[in-house]
Amino acid sequence: MRVKLIYSHDVVEKPILASIVLKTGVPINILEAKVNAQKGELIVSIPATGDKLREVLNLFREAGVQVQEFTETLRIDWDKCMACGACISPCPTGALKFKDDWSIEFDDEKCVACKVCVTACPVRAISLP
Amino acid sequence: MREENKEIRIRSIDEINEKIKRGDAVVLTAEEVIKLAESSGVEAVAKEVDVVTTGTFGAMCSSGVFLNFGHSDPPIKMVRCWLNDVPVYKGLAAVDGYLGATSISETRGLEYGGGHVIEDLVSGKEVVLRAESYGTDCYPRRHIETVITIDDLNQAILVNPRNCYQRYEAATNSSDRILYTYMGTLLPNYGNVTFSGAGQLNPLCKDPSYETIGFGTKIFLGGGVGYIIGEGTQHNPEPGYGTLMVKGDLKQMNSRYLRGASFYRYGPTLYIGIGIPIPIINMSVAKTVALRDEDIFVNIRDYAVPSRPDLRPIIKRVSYAELRSGKVYLGDRKVPSSSLSSYKMAREIAETLKKWILEGMFFLTKPIEPLPKRGKFKPLEIRRKEPKVGDIMNRHVIIAKPNDDVNSVAAKLVEKGIDHLPVVDDEGKLIGIVTSWDLAKAIAYNKRRLDEIMTRRVITAFENESIDVVVRRMAQHNISGVPVVDAMNRVIGILTTDDISRKIVGGRNVT
Repeated sequence: MRVKLIYSHDVVEKPILASIVLKTGVPINILEAKVNAQKGELIVSIPATGDKLREVLNLFREAGVQVQEFTETLRIDWDKCMACGACISPCPTGALKFKDDWSIEFDDEKCVACKVCVTACPVRAISLP
Repeated sequence: MREENKEIRIRSIDEINEKIKRGDAVVLTAEEVIKLAESSGVEAVAKEVDVVTTGTFGAMCSSGVFLNFGHSDPPIKMVRCWLNDVPVYKGLAAVDGYLGATSISETRGLEYGGGHVIEDLVSGKEVVLRAESYGTDCYPRRHIETVITIDDLNQAILVNPRNCYQRYEAATNSSDRILYTYMGTLLPNYGNVTFSGAGQLNPLCKDPSYETIGFGTKIFLGGGVGYIIGEGTQHNPEPGYGTLMVKGDLKQMNSRYLRGASFYRYGPTLYIGIGIPIPIINMSVAKTVALRDEDIFVNIRDYAVPSRPDLRPIIKRVSYAELRSGKVYLGDRKVPSSSLSSYKMAREIAETLKKWILEGMFFLTKPIEPLPKRGKFKPLEIRRKEPKVGDIMNRHVIIAKPNDDVNSVAAKLVEKGIDHLPVVDDEGKLIGIVTSWDLAKAIAYNKRRLDEIMTRRVITAFENESIDVVVRRMAQHNISGVPVVDAMNRVIGILTTDDISRKIVGGRNVT
């Protein structure tokens, strides 16, 4: 599951994420991070479900981190896609890649909705609703 | 060696056509023939295979279509003409025109162009035709606006001056900002590598000495049948950058293989599918059809240098295999690489052409003339005097030192009537810049010393740079002046938008 974690001024300097990884053993993956002295915003992928996922999310909340579900994701018009690959190498998180048959595969768990692929696509097959 | 091989004729094109007619020709795609060569050797290829099919599907800007609209009543001699607001070239007879793939919509801008109109026509969509004239005794009409489809056109003939590049140089970007190019989106600091071309499936790569491909070769073009009508423009065979000029009837084509496209902030183009059958007539061709991505090399060039394509620095020479693997090593860094042309579509084209031949729907033609094996791709020399930064810049630069007082600097700007003040160290080397805006900030935040407020990352220019390149740099950084520095980073002048607008007025002449 992808979530956005918002760190306020009070907690931005604490190693909250690292502690939660150590405590739960869930290897949380940071997809995007914007951190400064006042505030931090992380988009992370949490590879857990059910109770384990609830535990991770609760630990963040208890530590004073605001947790938002991150649902923004690309829409790909597969009828338009020519499988050229122009979107693949600009993608910062590896969310777009070739399959074995050289068609394109999109992994929305990895997508941070940065939109670089939207303009990289020469046939405008990718949009962000 | 090659001459010797040539003499060992294996089979003729006529013999192959007889086999196609009988239904017993052996046809493999370029990928299949590579496997055969790897498992059984080139001799097996020579012995067993009659035809190898190839394919490529990529952006080919030098493409377009000759159109004949037919005469309206009263008739018009179209002088200017648009299809869906995209300008059609009208330096031809009254109702003939040429729509180029990169022609840009006058209402929708870079997002829609000739390539898109071509795709719309092939898809059977209605297209708005508009034309203007001055009116003549024989063609009295001065304006026309109507809706047409491809069926209304007398002819729609795709004639592409340059398609099907044998290989294409790959691209990367050393600068600190994202570049939007005809090689796609290039991330800063060598963030990615893009490339084009089908490599081991690419037609000209499989017959690099043009033993079978020539004038009159029948090909798969845009889903229909087309012909090679000569070498393409910029044909440069000796270093392995051959090109083709091709034609075909647009009315027979399929929009799956002709796709209007637009590179962001670059402009429109047309993706085209081309497949060429390669008859195995001798040993030399049997060898080259088995070339793999591992055997085909191109340079990766740095698009951060805004120079002529052949002057962009070469970062590395790589094989298509490395490019297609998705990762390229630049130094010790693994950088993501991806194509702009579609390997999946190239495969599909090679398969389709194979099917056509096996089903007896497509016969091979004997070229009437081989493609030239020599040719030169010359740059365009500028023979008129063109101003460089050094001709326009102001050499009497007012400079400041980092420990100067803000008030005295402000006074200096007012006294000299300038906006930009380069800050230099004791050796005259540039270490920062201060503008009147920075001084306003200094007052607002109550700062005293120049080095507290100056901008340290200075955008500069060199004396021998083109004005256009520096103007674009200023626009991109939203600044109105740049210090001009020498190779040692010493300030030798300053160039501002004021200098440019005052000294280059209405043309390119140095005053």
